[in-house]
Amino acid sequence: MKKLASLLLLGITTLSMLTGCSSSADQTASATSTAVDLVFWHSMSGTAGTAIDELVEQFNNSQDEITVKAEYQGAYDDALTKLKSSALGNSGPDIMQLYDIGTRWMIDSGYALVLQDLADGYDFSSIEENILEYYIVEGQVHSMPFNTSTPVLYYNKTAFEQAGLDPESPPTSLEEILEYSELLTGDGKYGFSMQVYGWFFEQFLNKMQLDYVDQGNGRDDSATQVVFDNNDGARVVFQTWKDMIDSGYVVNYGQDGTAVIESFASGNIAMTVGTTASLPTVIAYVGDAFELGVGYYPSVNADDKGGISIGGGSLWAMDKGSDVKADAAFEFIKFMVEPQSQLIWSQATGYFCVNTETYKLPEMIDFLEANPLFAVAINQLQESNNEAGAVLGVFTEARDAFEENLEKIISNELSVDEAVERLTTTVNVAIKRYNASAN
Amino acid sequence: MYAQETLKASKASKVKSLAKPKIKLSPVEPYLYLVPSFIIFITFVFYPFINTIYVSMYTTDLRGRVKDFVGLQNFIDLFNSPAFYNSITITFKFVLMIAFPSVLIAFILALLANNKLKGNRIYETMFSLPMAIASAPATAFWSMAFNQTNGIINYVLGQEIQWLTNPDYALIAVSIVTVWLSIGFNFIFLTVGLRNIPTELIESVSIDGANYLQKFRYIYLPLISPQMFVVVFINVIGSFQAFGQIKLLTEGGPGDSTNVLVYSIYQEAFKYGRFEVACAQALVLFVIMLCVTLLQFKFEKKVVHYD
Repeated sequence: MKKLASLLLLGITTLSMLTGCSSSADQTASATSTAVDLVFWHSMSGTAGTAIDELVEQFNNSQDEITVKAEYQGAYDDALTKLKSSALGNSGPDIMQLYDIGTRWMIDSGYALVLQDLADGYDFSSIEENILEYYIVEGQVHSMPFNTSTPVLYYNKTAFEQAGLDPESPPTSLEEILEYSELLTGDGKYGFSMQVYGWFFEQFLNKMQLDYVDQGNGRDDSATQVVFDNNDGARVVFQTWKDMIDSGYVVNYGQDGTAVIESFASGNIAMTVGTTASLPTVIAYVGDAFELGVGYYPSVNADDKGGISIGGGSLWAMDKGSDVKADAAFEFIKFMVEPQSQLIWSQATGYFCVNTETYKLPEMIDFLEANPLFAVAINQLQESNNEAGAVLGVFTEARDAFEENLEKIISNELSVDEAVERLTTTVNVAIKRYNASAN
Repeated sequence: MYAQETLKASKASKVKSLAKPKIKLSPVEPYLYLVPSFIIFITFVFYPFINTIYVSMYTTDLRGRVKDFVGLQNFIDLFNSPAFYNSITITFKFVLMIAFPSVLIAFILALLANNKLKGNRIYETMFSLPMAIASAPATAFWSMAFNQTNGIINYVLGQEIQWLTNPDYALIAVSIVTVWLSIGFNFIFLTVGLRNIPTELIESVSIDGANYLQKFRYIYLPLISPQMFVVVFINVIGSFQAFGQIKLLTEGGPGDSTNVLVYSIYQEAFKYGRFEVACAQALVLFVIMLCVTLLQFKFEKKVVHYD
């Protein structure tokens, strides 16, 4: 009998050990009743992660009602997965940083609040117009842009001089890049390389002023199908890309963006495209090896008139069923885009200042004078012709599908027309499935 | 008198019962011993498995919760998708490219290390070392080695092979890393097997004048077959489940040339948020692995020599 009792005890202990972890978490949350504790999930590591911690600390010290705890949750995809599993137990964050292409999903999932509803009396006019418009869907601001980047052209001015090209006038279209590449190729070196990356495809469509999906590029309502097959955008981009690689002046490093940057920094390729967020990295890699130039992101054809759209991430106020928490979350978000915060953020990371007031700060004026390369990206953004870019719930898969098909064209497994057809089918099926689960 | 007798008897029985206690188990007791391990099995094996079957017959919403019952529709979609067949083909190719080379190389190394030479211990440690390295750091090292322009492999070969960006080479590159990762483990198993071969046997055939090849064919090979079977078995299962090196080296690309079933499951669930498709794929993988396992055990009876 005694044995039986001890066995039972053992069973119970094992059970409580397995369930024990869940009960202890709630107790800490209710410890303070007057102050508000917020959890902020982000996906910034390295120097950007340090900058986030610094900003959060500044915010916590600036007042004593709200305490924000920043938690790094891995890359955006990983953070999304964690969000899905945490939301079942309501242990998710109060503020979340998410990438641009997660916008539609975040709206449809209902996890987040509409930022504009919280922003009672907040003046959005100091937020850079060309950035903010990306986060306006169906007429409302859904999240606050925080870390924003655009693609630019990086080029080797020293190599330009040696090839007899004007180092102050970089090429502006893929057509021109191919012409320049011919002059820059030789001696084991190539003119140009471009990472196989779906984001670049979206930007080329923006440049050609073509839509990606229907429903006003997904901004008036949920997209129902892609349009890049009918407007010929996909075919033109695929064909141009393929022709460039076949020319022998352009080399392909696949989907590995780091390999492209390393190759550019070691002088093996004279031009490449990449995000502004990697400008500090590129500068560090290049060092004194050659003179670095930054130009506008190229269009496909010389006569394209469009601009570029932004990439990066934004801050979302999450729906935790508490007005107090929601208002506190907005206070924090507001702080993160104040001119002074954006100054710290931008200088630490290479992301844009989303707040235009930042450019009036003397520190920023000095910084741009000392680092004229950063100014190119800012000018490009401010000159952009209101290309907000597409909104789509299945962008992750659409990008993967673009990259997969492009690689199959490059390796001659598929013709351009076959690839367009396959890409269209894959993305349309994904959109259909997505809309079915959203409704 | 009578009372004394009974007392004696009872004493005797008491002594008897002390010497050989009669255990009377309550019918529940044995099951109680199983409770702790059962709880763990139910939580981490049975429940997830049943849940996988359940989810595979539903659709899920954007938050990953089950939504509508669709029966076998997810499986029908799967078997109509060319990408899925591609994943299965690649998975089998991958398994063949790993399980046999890694066992073969480990066996050769084990035979070499079995020769009693000076510094033998050092070689043994070297050969088993990859086992101590997790797949993530190993992958980091190999991805540098595979680099097209600055990597040591191309430098040694004097080539400019696009190991990770050319669809013809990517699967080979991932296989090389996986083989390298599993050699250490196989080596230890096979070395132990070779050590356990009785020296009398080897001595007696040596006296009979057997050469190395004959020793290998008639002594080593049959006597090591049980270990060999275990190692092949573990490698086959392991390569069906390989994930870390693929995620870190190629992410299933270029194109879909390294998109094995396990990676495709990860991609559907965690990148595209389609848990129902991932669950259906996981069940197909389960059936495939079950069949392969059954086949292997059938094969075992024919070739393995237990003595």
